[in-house]
Amino acid sequence: MGPQAADTELARLRRGDPEAFEQILGRYQHRVFRYLVRMVRDRAQAEDLFQQTWLRVTQKIGQYDPRRNFEAWLFSVARNLAIDYLRRYKPESLDEPPPGDPEGQTREARLAAGGPSALDRVLARERSERLEASLAELPPMYREVLTLRFEEEMKIEEIANVLEVPLSTAKTRLRRGMGHLRQILESTGAQGIWA
Amino acid sequence: MGVNEHDAMRELIALAAADALDEREQALLAEHLRHCQACIAELDEWRALGRGLRRLPTPQVTPQVFERTRQQMELQLATAKENRLNPWLFGTLVLLSWTLTAASWPVLRILTQGATSWMATDIRGIWTGLLGYMVAGWAIGGVMVIALAVKRAGTGRTA
Repeated sequence: MGPQAADTELARLRRGDPEAFEQILGRYQHRVFRYLVRMVRDRAQAEDLFQQTWLRVTQKIGQYDPRRNFEAWLFSVARNLAIDYLRRYKPESLDEPPPGDPEGQTREARLAAGGPSALDRVLARERSERLEASLAELPPMYREVLTLRFEEEMKIEEIANVLEVPLSTAKTRLRRGMGHLRQILESTGAQGIWA
Repeated sequence: MGVNEHDAMRELIALAAADALDEREQALLAEHLRHCQACIAELDEWRALGRGLRRLPTPQVTPQVFERTRQQMELQLATAKENRLNPWLFGTLVLLSWTLTAASWPVLRILTQGATSWMATDIRGIWTGLLGYMVAGWAIGGVMVIALAVKRAGTGRTA
């Protein structure tokens, strides 16, 4: 969508045009839902948060700053609701890395725990299921940054915008999230070639 | 190549696989990769992980959830529109009421006291009558508004 069309659509959204809202709902439905499923790991709850997200969008569209990326704003609306839910019902560690941070571990030590040949064998089966399950084991702060980067294809600057953190923090979370994910995969013998 | 440089570069490899390095970091890593096979292999593994994440199946919104969400949005937009219009409507009605009250007072006076009553010099009496007329009219209107609001609140609670 060109900038002019985006401006027109935004103007329609601000006027409360139901058709414009239906269009953006249709355009972003699966992406927002995927993000929420990754965050809360519960499809039924994600559906509820999905509806709440879009209701919040209709309420808050007047507060949206057009200078900001719309997708980043939309995902931050969904994120705030997901974080509220997690704080209330699943008070996992949202802000602190879990114990056993792989940052201090050497590659050799990590590989010694698994062994590449064993990993390759496991990789031959259950690839995406295992990866998805491993992703779900990560703390929310890492799940979200990984899904925003690799599934939503957001740039690191946009991710920092959604998370409302400095760029360096977003990078650190991305790096640590990948490290944790790989550690989980290795611990279950599922690391290797995914292509 | 020193051990420190190698460790420092390892920090960048995962981010490189995620295309999250700035230009300076990219240049540093590219230079390191020219002579470090271990890091090249490491980068390949991270990239493979990234490809795996990109290929994860996307959970789909069911048509029922989509439709329910669409309907709720539509309802909320209609309510918001009504709420935006209410102050204007109220203001217009108040203005109309004042105008009608003021305009009907001379008519009422002519009907009850005759056309010549306007020639009376009792200005104070005229104003007192007008004031009483308006207070009575607005008191009746106020009672009706309160009754309607109570009825509406009751409907909202039972809906």
